[in-house]
Amino acid sequence: MACEKTKIEDLHKYLDEEMTLLEKKQLEQHLMKCGDCDKHLRELRKTIAIVQSSSHIEAPGDFTANVMKKLPEQKKSRKYKT
Amino acid sequence: MDAVVKKIIMEVKKGDQQAFAELVDLYKDKVYQISYRMLGNVHEAQDISQEAFLRAYTNIDSFDMNRKFSTWLFRIATNLSIDRIRKKKPDFHLDDPVGGTEDFNYYSQIAADEELPEDKVVQYEMQGWIQSEITALPPKYRSAIILKYLEDLSLKEISEILNLPVATVKTRIHRGREALRKRLRNS
Repeated sequence: MACEKTKIEDLHKYLDEEMTLLEKKQLEQHLMKCGDCDKHLRELRKTIAIVQSSSHIEAPGDFTANVMKKLPEQKKSRKYKT
Repeated sequence: MDAVVKKIIMEVKKGDQQAFAELVDLYKDKVYQISYRMLGNVHEAQDISQEAFLRAYTNIDSFDMNRKFSTWLFRIATNLSIDRIRKKKPDFHLDDPVGGTEDFNYYSQIAADEELPEDKVVQYEMQGWIQSEITALPPKYRSAIILKYLEDLSLKEISEILNLPVATVKTRIHRGREALRKRLRNS
């Protein structure tokens, strides 16, 4: 757990690279002496890595054919135009 | 928008039904992935992703060509998934038992007599576990996390898909990450 509530938001901003250079430096200095925040940040990085390790999923092979079968009947309006 | 996609949509708008098959082919994997990650179940994912394409087809006249087609389509798929989750579980909380995992069908799709190499078994188990953790998130955080980390979309695109301000999307990603961190930290 981060040392205080405001710091959690800082850690997320840091992760998303939304900090100014000064804020970034200040947080990095804090991380060096605060074990709780450092651990929290490492846990967040690990969480993201785990989620990103999910394999990409593909639709079943007959997916397009199934959708096409279910489409409503083709519009007839074109017939009358020709 | 991509010129090829634009051309296909024009043809569909003019009434060429076959052209729609090209659109389905282009986006089926992404739409299926969003639905599957939201619902955690292959049958429901098929159902919802097919429904998303049917809705896109019947509403194609209302699609604004100046917008990005994938954003519009993903919005339909996300909304349908959220509706389905709401119907399943009217009171969804983070502390509830993991939804959809009983139906989790990864394993049942593998024929029983089929030998799997050890590392593949580990991989299947790992994937099933990650999905059950994603499914345990409240739907509003789940959609933001899926679109950001599994579909790799920008905050701006996510905000258009979810119809929320970028600041709200950021908050949802933060909260989703925190909720996942709490569950995953001991792994």
